[in-house]
Amino acid sequence: MKRRLMVLALAVSLAQVPAPVLAHGGSELSALSALPVAVSVAAPVGLLVSGAVLTVVAVEAASGVTVWVLERASDSVQASVQLSAGASAVLGASVVVSAVATGWVLSVAGEAIAFVPNALGEALLHNERITR
Amino acid sequence: MTALGMRWRSLATAISVLAVVAAAPLAAQAGRGCEATRPTVAAVQQAMDLALQTAQALDASGADMVVLARAGQDLSRYGLRWSHLGLAYRDERGHWRVLHKLNACGSARGDLYRQGLGEFFLDDLFAYRAGWVVPTPALQAALRPLLMDDVRVARLHVPAYNMVAYPWATRYQQSNQWAIETLAWAADPQAGNRQRAQAWLRLRGYGPSVLNVSALERLGAGVGSAHITFDDHPLGPRMAGRIATVTVDSVFAWLPRQGLSGPVHEVGR
Repeated sequence: MKRRLMVLALAVSLAQVPAPVLAHGGSELSALSALPVAVSVAAPVGLLVSGAVLTVVAVEAASGVTVWVLERASDSVQASVQLSAGASAVLGASVVVSAVATGWVLSVAGEAIAFVPNALGEALLHNERITR
Repeated sequence: MTALGMRWRSLATAISVLAVVAAAPLAAQAGRGCEATRPTVAAVQQAMDLALQTAQALDASGADMVVLARAGQDLSRYGLRWSHLGLAYRDERGHWRVLHKLNACGSARGDLYRQGLGEFFLDDLFAYRAGWVVPTPALQAALRPLLMDDVRVARLHVPAYNMVAYPWATRYQQSNQWAIETLAWAADPQAGNRQRAQAWLRLRGYGPSVLNVSALERLGAGVGSAHITFDDHPLGPRMAGRIATVTVDSVFAWLPRQGLSGPVHEVGR
């Protein structure tokens, strides 16, 4: 019994040995690169500006595409954002718009939930798996 | 049962217990890369800004194809500045695309992807900087059409992934290794299989980085990570903790030294 406990203790201590830093090196397909990207946006001029807060009033998912309808509370002006599959948003959530050089980042509570590229950003985005 | 038999049985028990105990953290670790963690707004902005800055610098370089690196992790304890490289080219529309090999979720499999600079840098970087070398015009001309051809670009790819694969073996292939073996084939059409590509790399003076990885670290990595194994390394150096593998830093030192590219360029910080 004593021997078994020693073996177990050894096993536990070995299991807790951290893998080398390389274990978390840079070739992993990260969750970050899976950030949903808008494929099209229908929004009135001036709605997507830094600091704007929009409410998620509708979420529709069909055929691998997700559409969010976002509304500005002050005047009920709406934007429709079509995203790649996998995008998720909660109805009623407050989405903050942040303008960056390559587009707009949509976030909830400081966490980015989608990226809406402008023309500069579009040229930088492409995701294609070659082997399976 | 003989004393020797007893020892083997004890060892077998220890290993099986170890495997069971290690399974819990292994499962958690294997899934970690797949968790739907959301980046901060600042992380997205910094990554996309770096992508834009890199695209503008590559446009200004006049190159059609470069060997491009990112700093995904702090590897300074191994004396390394970069973590991962890809082969980038300008497509017909003038957009930069990167061919690189990625390992999903800490699994034992790697796959090739063609991504934009945005996705390439949207990777929870350790440092928001990009590095690249511009291959000679002849090497660019040989590599660029290959990178645009989904069949040829995968010719030397093998899915068996090991982050610390031995550079002179073919059991596994890590991401930087795929890149330089493919570069070798582009440079020499006779180097159309992995053995020949590796022979070409040796002939042209490529030398891998040799990382000092302690026995405890090797053991920890071995039981905790499906994408790390040391069993393709020669026994002597392996037991001494000297692990040779293809790193960006070794590639960036080799290509200019051999006259196969210009010097290393950087943007970002």
